[in-house]
Amino acid sequence: MTNSALPTPDAQNVTTIDDAQSVMPDLPRRARILKTLRPWLKPKIVLGGTVVFMLVFIGIFAPVIAPYDPNGQNLINALRAPGWFSEPHFLGTDHVGRDILSRIIYGARISLVIAATVVVISGVIGIGLGAISGFFAGRTDFLIQKLVEVVWAFPPLLLAIAIMAFFGQSLLILIVALVVQRWIPYCRVAGGQALSLRTRDFVDAARSLGASNTRIITRHVLPNLIQAAMVIGTFAMATAIIAEASLSFLGLGVPPAIPTWGSMLADGRTYISTSWWLALFPGLCIFFTVLGINMLGDGMRDLFDPRLKRPGQGMG
Amino acid sequence: MKPNRRFIGAALASASLLGAAATLSPASAASTVVVGATETISSHNPHGDSISMGYGIWCEVYGCLGTYSFTKGAYVGMLAESWSVDKADPNIWTFKLRQGLKRHVDGKELTSEDVVHSITRMGTDPQTRQKQNVKHVKSVKAIDKYTVEVVTKQPTAPLLEFLFDRVMITGKDLFDKHGPKVADRQYPLGWGPYKLKEIVIGQRIVLEKDPASTFAKPENPDTLIFRIMREPEQRVTALLNNEIQIAQFIPPHLGPRIKSATNANLVPTSSVELMFLAMSPKKKPFDNATARKAACMAINRDAIIKAILGGQAERLDAPIGEGQYAYNPADAAKMKVPYDPAAAKALLEKAGLVGAEIELETPVGRYVNDKQITESMIPMLNAVGFKAKLKTPEWPTLWANVQKGNVPFFYMGRGGVVDPSPAFAQYFETGGSPRIGFSSAKVDALLQKERATFDPEERKKVINQAFAQIVEEQPACFMWKHKLLYGISKGVAYTPNPTGKVWGSEIAVK
Amino acid sequence: MLSYIVRRILGTIPVILLISLLVFMLVQAAPGDPADLLLSDEATKEDIDDARKRWGLDQPIHVQYGKFLIAALQGDLGTSFRYTDPVVTMIVDRLPATIELAVVSILIALIVGVPLGVWAGARPNSWIDNVGSFVGFFGISMPNFWFGIMLILVVSGYFNLLPSAGRSTYGVGGPPITGFFILDNIIHGDWNAVRDGISYIILPAVALGTNMMGILMRVTRSSVLEVMHEDFVRTARAKGVRDTVVLWRHVVRNALIPIITVVGLELGTLLSGSIIVETVFSWPGSGSLLISAITSRDYPLITGTVLTYTLAFVIINFIIDILYGTIDPRIRFDK
Repeated sequence: MTNSALPTPDAQNVTTIDDAQSVMPDLPRRARILKTLRPWLKPKIVLGGTVVFMLVFIGIFAPVIAPYDPNGQNLINALRAPGWFSEPHFLGTDHVGRDILSRIIYGARISLVIAATVVVISGVIGIGLGAISGFFAGRTDFLIQKLVEVVWAFPPLLLAIAIMAFFGQSLLILIVALVVQRWIPYCRVAGGQALSLRTRDFVDAARSLGASNTRIITRHVLPNLIQAAMVIGTFAMATAIIAEASLSFLGLGVPPAIPTWGSMLADGRTYISTSWWLALFPGLCIFFTVLGINMLGDGMRDLFDPRLKRPGQGMG
Repeated sequence: MKPNRRFIGAALASASLLGAAATLSPASAASTVVVGATETISSHNPHGDSISMGYGIWCEVYGCLGTYSFTKGAYVGMLAESWSVDKADPNIWTFKLRQGLKRHVDGKELTSEDVVHSITRMGTDPQTRQKQNVKHVKSVKAIDKYTVEVVTKQPTAPLLEFLFDRVMITGKDLFDKHGPKVADRQYPLGWGPYKLKEIVIGQRIVLEKDPASTFAKPENPDTLIFRIMREPEQRVTALLNNEIQIAQFIPPHLGPRIKSATNANLVPTSSVELMFLAMSPKKKPFDNATARKAACMAINRDAIIKAILGGQAERLDAPIGEGQYAYNPADAAKMKVPYDPAAAKALLEKAGLVGAEIELETPVGRYVNDKQITESMIPMLNAVGFKAKLKTPEWPTLWANVQKGNVPFFYMGRGGVVDPSPAFAQYFETGGSPRIGFSSAKVDALLQKERATFDPEERKKVINQAFAQIVEEQPACFMWKHKLLYGISKGVAYTPNPTGKVWGSEIAVK
Repeated sequence: MLSYIVRRILGTIPVILLISLLVFMLVQAAPGDPADLLLSDEATKEDIDDARKRWGLDQPIHVQYGKFLIAALQGDLGTSFRYTDPVVTMIVDRLPATIELAVVSILIALIVGVPLGVWAGARPNSWIDNVGSFVGFFGISMPNFWFGIMLILVVSGYFNLLPSAGRSTYGVGGPPITGFFILDNIIHGDWNAVRDGISYIILPAVALGTNMMGILMRVTRSSVLEVMHEDFVRTARAKGVRDTVVLWRHVVRNALIPIITVVGLELGTLLSGSIIVETVFSWPGSGSLLISAITSRDYPLITGTVLTYTLAFVIINFIIDILYGTIDPRIRFDK
């Protein structure tokens, strides 16, 4: 796949994993480790990765970090403006006196859990179906493609809204609603890869040596999907977070006992002109989290796909 | 928002993109009052809706037999001049119509035939949503040109609650000649003070004063426009910008913005919607009366009214409040349920119900701050020993389950309660709606008695006895009545009506 | 080419049929009885049963679907339970507002995203690239409804520059011709009304279009980067053709395919995003109509609106496929 007209990488010019790997054999072990790590140290990946790491950290250690009980009400203290460092509630309180900072911290947890679950489940379903459809072609492929078309034809949020509105509010149904269309990008990529690989010589060779279909899929097809899946997965996490927030915003998200950024936004919208802090901070959190995840995914894609990023020749 | 910022902003705005917005000139040649409303009627058919805004508009265009006057605390005739119940057979009501009332445009006089036609149509029109208004009527007949006789199925003292304010009188001749669709859309002619000029469903309703009408006064606005503005922020901004003159139903937290405005006043008014927590005695733990008592005593209503409703609600000690028929402060004080979490806790401990799981269900955005209010109730219930959770299902799902009687514990409102009889029969009489599933022979007897008592003072006493019994058995905790907040431009004099309807004939343009 | 088009059309028909069935069943499966919801609080069981009969809800579901399908094929999507108006009329009434919003959003996304992407791609790793890339990331990461709320808070609320709700000032503008307010008033020559309409559409369009703007920016940038190194570009530059000409003529033309792909792919997201943005800005389009239809279980209205959105989506994707075929002849014969 490499174009011979393109400059060959050397030790100073390592920008992709392929580059790194091609330079590898010449170096001692320690330098080899550094060289593997180097491509990952781009600003996009570092920044994005930091955000994701912080998200996970906050999510895991929420009970330790949060200053107050996220559901602890205090009616007398309702709608207090942010106290920052001078007063008790750093980001203020909401309409029933709950501490906003604590709710945001716990909200990180929920957003993370929901997004990760959705991504994993849709990934498994999508890659599974895609690999099967691409590999077996014929009628299986046709059916699966038709399924993809029908589900894909629904404007994305609409289907989720319908499911949530009709089948009730619960964490499980929310995850179903979010997975229902999200498996498709995985399916498409997996299908494409599987299809192209199916026709390659080495598959025929392996078959002639007696390898079963399953073995071919797991050994040869799937590993190539992992990289693509990682990229899709990061972006999918971002959209899952936004989708959950959108559904909560419409009143269709998780039940009220669970604090999520989206439902905090929905609550805060009523008070937007009088108590702006209820809506501002959860929104900022969603934005920066999604931004970080997107940067990470983008950086990873640059790494994995050598065609997209070339050292700048630019205009001069 | 600092005032000088807003001033600069406004100056910039008028110089830049906004252009010449169509503002309305005050009472000069023709006066117009625009109302920012939240509800919309959904049809040209006057029987096609059952909301207070619809009743208000159709009664003002077509005319109703009569209306309840909150200032007088009694029913007042509009198209009907007088009415009486037959002494011998209390099922027979006789209404005498005003004579010489001329209709819009064609000047046809109101006759009893039109009344008979309207009452019949209300029950039989294929699109009607108002059948319940005539459910007590067995027959209606024109005795002479200006006299109508209504016969009820059973003695029904609160009949006017059904027939006044809700039964608009449309013309029989137009219906017979053109059929309902054409008559409603092209000939909406009536005997009310305002003519229907235009309906754009979901957006606006435009009414024009009929200066010749007996019910219209010179100071009433010549044009009355209802603009549907669902977002409260939108209504407040429009009021402050002079785009509208009356903004309905301002949520409590936006009240201060109007109070501090220079061109408008914040006018609170009592409402007729009862907010309550319903507890079904058919489901655990509320099958035990102690649990119900404990739940009601656990709720700190005053704190909620203060913190979440900005003080804009009247606590209900009796099941009804100020302005509603048969309300009596002395009786109310006797029925009051105290806020006493310690006592509630003791009750639960004694009954062995500590840790009882309850799920409170509430709609979201249907009533003022409903979610916020119920959120604050959960810790209160937990504090006395319940294990309480909040559920916020989507309205259609919640309503479907409530109607089937499947929701053991819910927060809801019952609107339109002027004479409490229909509402209480519906919720608390055996055979009423299955929503709460409450049944008590004592309560049944009292409710049936009040319906058959025609002497007003006697009836009020019986009603209060029924209330006392209901509060005693406690299938519901009566919370409060919201105060309806209106933003009213300083150029307009208007006392809002507790039912939420807006009548042009009650508005005076200064 | 013709056979390709015909094949595609035939291919979408079963999909659309399946979707209509899916929507129909989904809607009926939901808890909540439209008769109960739309009649008054005090309606009796007989009244409710009456209404159900009138609306055909007492019949078995396959009968209902059959009737619906036959009517739909003749262009009749039924009558709204709540408004007693034909669904088609109601949708036609509200759809132009949504389309107007979508079109302006896409325009904003194109006008801001594409040039930014080209500039950034032409000068990779420069400060222009960094700024442009950040704007791109901003666009794709911003939840549109929160952005809308913030815009209302700051632009409308604090600075009072633009209105925050509705489509036009009441009383401004002439009678509708096409249903597109701004277009209609351009036809009328009422520039006051045009300005008014623009002032109302800016904020919601910006909120809605920012996402697509971000994606377009990044896609344009990467396709520009890709193409910058193609042989023919080098040849042109070697021949001495001026850089700007090379850039705009060759590079942009090749970036067209990904741009069109993005617009097509993201249109679905845009349509569903418009539902939320319409709610936030009280924009009177079919999105807010759908939300209220869902809340009142107005089956015909829900089915009709969802079908319309889906049909629009399918048709637009179809058009984009055709456009592909015209721009890149390799694709047509691929299948």
